[in-house]
Amino acid sequence: MKEDWKPLRQLAMVIDLNKCIGCQTCTVACKTLWTDEEGMEHMYWNSVNTQPGRGTPRDWEGMGGGFENDVPRAGRLPSISEFGDVPRYDYERVFSEGHGEKEFLRPKKRPDWMFNWDEDQGAGVFPNSYFFYLPRLCNHCTYPACAEACPIKAISKRKEDGIVLIDQDKCKGYRFCMEACPYKKIYYNYVTRTSQKCIFCFPRVDKGVAQACARQCPGRVRFVGYLDDERGPIHRLVNQWKVALPLHPEYGTEANIYYVPPIGPLRNTEDGNFDPSQPRIPTEYLVSLFGANVKPAIETLQTEMDKRRRGEKSELLEILIGWRWPDDFFSHLTKDPVEAGGGLS
Amino acid sequence: MDRRDFLKTTSVTVTALSLSKFVEVGCERPPEAPTGPAPTGTWLDRQRAKWTWDKTYFVTHPQDCYPGNCSWVGYVKNGVFWREEQTGRYPVVDPSTPDWNPRGCQKGCMYSRVTYGKERIKYPMRRVGPRGSGKWQKISWDEALSEVADAIIDATEEQGPESVIVDEQPGQGGAFPHGVYPPLRFVALLGGTMLDANGIINDYNIGQYMTFGKFHGVSSQDDWFKAELTLIWLMNPVYTRIPAYHFVAESRYNGGEVWTIAPDFSPSAGHADRYVPLKIGSDAAFALGVAHVLIEEKLYNADFVREQTDLPLLVREDNKRYLRESDLKKGGNEEQLYVWDEKGKKLAQAPRTKLALGKVVPALEGSYRVKLADGTEVVVRPVFDILRARLEAEYGLDKVHAITGIHPDVVRNLAQKMAAKRTNILVGWCPPKIYHGDLMERAMCLCLGLTGNWGRRGTGVRGWTVLADMSIYTMPTRSGGSNDFADTVTELGRLVTALEKKHPGITEEDAHIELENIFCKLIGQVPPVFFWYHHAGYREVWNRKEWGDTAMKRTFDEYLQEAVDKGWWDNYVRPAPQIEPRVYILCGSNVLRRTRGAPKRLLEHLWPKLKKVVVVDVRMSTSALYADVVLPAAFFYEKAQLHSITSPHLRYWAFADKAIEPVHESKNEWDIFALLAKKVAERAQERGKKEYRLRQVVDINKIIDAFIPPGILGKIGDKLVRGKALKELQGFYGPTRTWENLHKRFTANGHYNAGDGEKLFDDALVILRKGGTVGSDTTLEKLRKTGFVKYTGLGRTPHGLNVATDVKPNETVNPFSWHTQKKIPYPTYARRAQFYIDHPWFIEGGEELPVFKEVPKAGGQHPFIMTSGHLRWSIHSSNVANEFALGLHRGEPFMFVNALDAKEKGIGDGGYVRVFNDVDEFTVQAKVSALPRRGQVIIYHAWDPYQFKGWRSYDTAIPGMVKWLHLAGGYGQFRFWVWNWQPCQSDRHIFVDLEPVRVA
Ligand code: SF4
Ligand code: SF4
Ligand code: SF4
Repeated sequence: MKEDWKPLRQLAMVIDLNKCIGCQTCTVACKTLWTDEEGMEHMYWNSVNTQPGRGTPRDWEGMGGGFENDVPRAGRLPSISEFGDVPRYDYERVFSEGHGEKEFLRPKKRPDWMFNWDEDQGAGVFPNSYFFYLPRLCNHCTYPACAEACPIKAISKRKEDGIVLIDQDKCKGYRFCMEACPYKKIYYNYVTRTSQKCIFCFPRVDKGVAQACARQCPGRVRFVGYLDDERGPIHRLVNQWKVALPLHPEYGTEANIYYVPPIGPLRNTEDGNFDPSQPRIPTEYLVSLFGANVKPAIETLQTEMDKRRRGEKSELLEILIGWRWPDDFFSHLTKDPVEAGGGLS
Repeated sequence: MDRRDFLKTTSVTVTALSLSKFVEVGCERPPEAPTGPAPTGTWLDRQRAKWTWDKTYFVTHPQDCYPGNCSWVGYVKNGVFWREEQTGRYPVVDPSTPDWNPRGCQKGCMYSRVTYGKERIKYPMRRVGPRGSGKWQKISWDEALSEVADAIIDATEEQGPESVIVDEQPGQGGAFPHGVYPPLRFVALLGGTMLDANGIINDYNIGQYMTFGKFHGVSSQDDWFKAELTLIWLMNPVYTRIPAYHFVAESRYNGGEVWTIAPDFSPSAGHADRYVPLKIGSDAAFALGVAHVLIEEKLYNADFVREQTDLPLLVREDNKRYLRESDLKKGGNEEQLYVWDEKGKKLAQAPRTKLALGKVVPALEGSYRVKLADGTEVVVRPVFDILRARLEAEYGLDKVHAITGIHPDVVRNLAQKMAAKRTNILVGWCPPKIYHGDLMERAMCLCLGLTGNWGRRGTGVRGWTVLADMSIYTMPTRSGGSNDFADTVTELGRLVTALEKKHPGITEEDAHIELENIFCKLIGQVPPVFFWYHHAGYREVWNRKEWGDTAMKRTFDEYLQEAVDKGWWDNYVRPAPQIEPRVYILCGSNVLRRTRGAPKRLLEHLWPKLKKVVVVDVRMSTSALYADVVLPAAFFYEKAQLHSITSPHLRYWAFADKAIEPVHESKNEWDIFALLAKKVAERAQERGKKEYRLRQVVDINKIIDAFIPPGILGKIGDKLVRGKALKELQGFYGPTRTWENLHKRFTANGHYNAGDGEKLFDDALVILRKGGTVGSDTTLEKLRKTGFVKYTGLGRTPHGLNVATDVKPNETVNPFSWHTQKKIPYPTYARRAQFYIDHPWFIEGGEELPVFKEVPKAGGQHPFIMTSGHLRWSIHSSNVANEFALGLHRGEPFMFVNALDAKEKGIGDGGYVRVFNDVDEFTVQAKVSALPRRGQVIIYHAWDPYQFKGWRSYDTAIPGMVKWLHLAGGYGQFRFWVWNWQPCQSDRHIFVDLEPVRVA
């Protein structure tokens, strides 16, 4: 039953797309911490893509999975090529094998897709081009389709904070979870022959330290905390102000990564003027990602920004500015990793 | 629903899911797995065990990711530098702004991987095949250093020491006491040639320099938050200021407005409120349109304009020159300029020693008749009046619309907002790289000047500077020790006092600039422009007027000759035309990547003259591939150092500790050059060489006399200043030097030998403590514990004083308040922010005022314009060819092509294109995008040429033009001093064509 999955409390994240600059520091922070091992080369538990775009794995939005009216929707397994290549290079051939200028440094096998392949390609026609950056990781869904799909119950959702974990001792690598996850955020480890994904940095979280992708984000884009903590930024942005929305709510899993939708610059007219008549980023497009609630969310954001420009106070914008790091961002997860972690010095 | 239902609804069965080899094996990881003994327990325990470590160190990446300097914690496990995470402990500075945490970027987050990258140079190597053939022999350090030492001695014997050349690269491999410092010290003591950093990289905001006499007006980045209007203009901070962009985003949420002004819908346009899509190269016209509105609608700040700018100064109508005292009376001061006092209805001298005008109210408009010394009458008008007429006649909004493509409403709207709001222009180092970028910056500054938008928090325009300038000439050569460092600082202070005494009315800033100018001569730091012209084949290119300024009335040769003949560049034409460059030492400097047009110029013209190309680097660069001797240097985490780019931009400077031993056979730069100095002395002795002479050295006594005539400081002063310190300089930088002394002085008489880098570092910190840039308790030991230090003042170096403001502990820093509030003059000819430059050449070129000039057709008549900027994915080329980094984008260089252009040309996304023009051609992957405008292609740098077919990158199609006007001299701020006034190469707006090609 759906309700069986409900945790006592849910740890959630809000990502502000108006501040995200697509730098992938989050991606690199995650990779060096968890997935820089043999068998995991292709894994980017956290990835950032330019939207509109085909994303990672390529065209993942068309791969199904999740629930439709609480009934599982058929999903398919992303292929290796859809996840994209991890190019390897023959440095010696270029540097020291005596081929001179005849050999140049390039992938041994030329990739035709990589996880960040469509970076900064965007959409629209210049000057009305548009794009924004969308970081993605496992949504630690309230109704995890992945867990539902696992025939051997290797996937669990922690009661205390709702973190969804694939038990690496149990997993047999069947990969039904990969089919079932509508966000296509599970990867296959070809060495351990198990499915793996974002663990929401539980070893850090358990010691009061924010997730690496959140704590290492130089854009100060990510908030974390319990969804029901009424004083915390998550609750206030998601439930009170309703400006943070889950990605593809229609997937039916109740994702717990929420996004503050992007407000692009005014459009331009042919003759170089501004055109305030319609938004640069088409509303339909944002609706296709975040559902119909994106409209009131943007209205709220815009109203508050206008207020602030007139010199009035805005409680919402105070939260989004995030005056004091880490306190204003990470709720109870504000410990210093060097002090809290497993180090000797 | 249960699991079985789920299975039913899915289409693939278990058996279909066996993949054997998911991706090819062989990734880039530390030599030993950093995981240690396999942990036991459940997978949860094993997972937890991953997030453990043995030891942590504070580190940073001391390279010119300006301002970079982010404090990180390095986690070391089993002797391997496992990973890094931002320190995140910066205390709040200004309570009214967000704090600085957690500074860093994705490159900084991956240097643990770059540390063990396959592109690292492992051991000393000697070339055994032809240059660039990739045929190497592994040799010992001793063999390598002997080979280099002999080459230096040979070159000195045959051509003189100035034939030994070093690039002052901006801290690629590291910082004080490593990176570029040791090679510079070595070559200065040798008497060689040191190519100025800004000359080679061209991050020289020359338009700002023309205006303010400096381009170092740098605020702290938290001050960006205080802007009410942020103009992102010729900059792409979303790529290039990753650690600080949040201040812009936060200011937008705080009621500020953000505009991005760019020809492409740049990555930094996405988060703006307004995007201004102006045509490529039309920026000056746009800014002049704004200036037009500001004057026409009387939106300008008249008080600010009168006091801070040259706009009230009077200009003669007959010859377009300023009205000078020397015009009015025989023997009058040539530099004394005038205003028309509206109140007294008469001429009044524009004060030179202060900005405050007293009772005088200078007229901004009108024309006045003045009687000259020779009895003739001339008409004079304030610059403002000339400007107003010029803007009316030439920059009407319809005309601006035609040039820029921007509607008059937008221009008007911006002018009104600038007049009403605290405006900060975020400009990068794009303008200097545009041929007429100086005009763009001058026009931007004009808009700021008219609206009083500098010298207040949340306003201004940006350049770069460093505060903790541990310059090579402040390093002791006598005995070492912190007292010796302290003495040097004291002596510098005395020199400044002496200069101030000699020239009453000059500011401390002026005096420091003057000193810097002298020191450049002493240590052989020169603008590279003459080196390129005489020795690297650029003469032919620069004479192609159609690729440069079509307003040139004479050939480039003639201008250069005139500039040299007039003595404007005395001591800087080095190596002299008749001297062959022989040894080129590149320490962390990838000259064949960076120099515009390098393959066609440097490889074909310079390389054949060089007897020994020596590369000291952490990684194989294209320059290393064409070198004769390659030496492996230790990387960021392998030596203790303080970031050299200590900028006012960020309040906390990071310390980089040594976390691991140098990998492979690498050594830190201090050790390398200390060993080289020793080896040179040894080899010289073995070869029976003792002494050598310099061809042309600065006559130190003459310089001293000019600045500090005997007696001016009294007897004691004479003894202290002229006697002690400068005699010493005479000894070090005089015309006769010995090989033995080179070694002695390099090591401060054996005080700092190889292995003594940390001692040197600790001793040198006294410079910062004494200069007041850091607290008096700042020591190496303390830095090790805290990881960073807050700057407390600007110090007493020209680059600090150029910021010209007071630093308060709990407030953001905004430059130029000494000018706007304390009324201290600017270091310009006019002593004010100068928009009117009456240098005869500027009048000849029609650039006495900022104007719009067409984009020169550099590269020939071709339909596309290639623009550039910094890549998101690399700091210079330091990690650009790293396997881990390459996995994060397309795995190879790419160029953005507009989607409609691509369609028309039959170019597919991910396909290769041949890009060609009259200079050369290169091949690159096309990335089809909605962001560039039609007719624009964008290739971000800095890919290493060996990542391109035939090792020919985009640089090969760039002619590398320099602007003739930047050779002007003999006029106020137009004189070289470190990182300043000199012609630098442009590389943006190159005309090319493209066609799809297949690459085998
Ligand atoms: S979430 Fe943060 S770290 Fe990740 S791309 Fe966005 S700004 Fe960069
Ligand atoms: S995002 Fe996918 S993997 Fe993560 S909990 Fe939801 S369904 Fe499972
Ligand atoms: S590379 Fe530069 S900007 Fe990036 S984290 Fe390091 S110091 Fe900061």
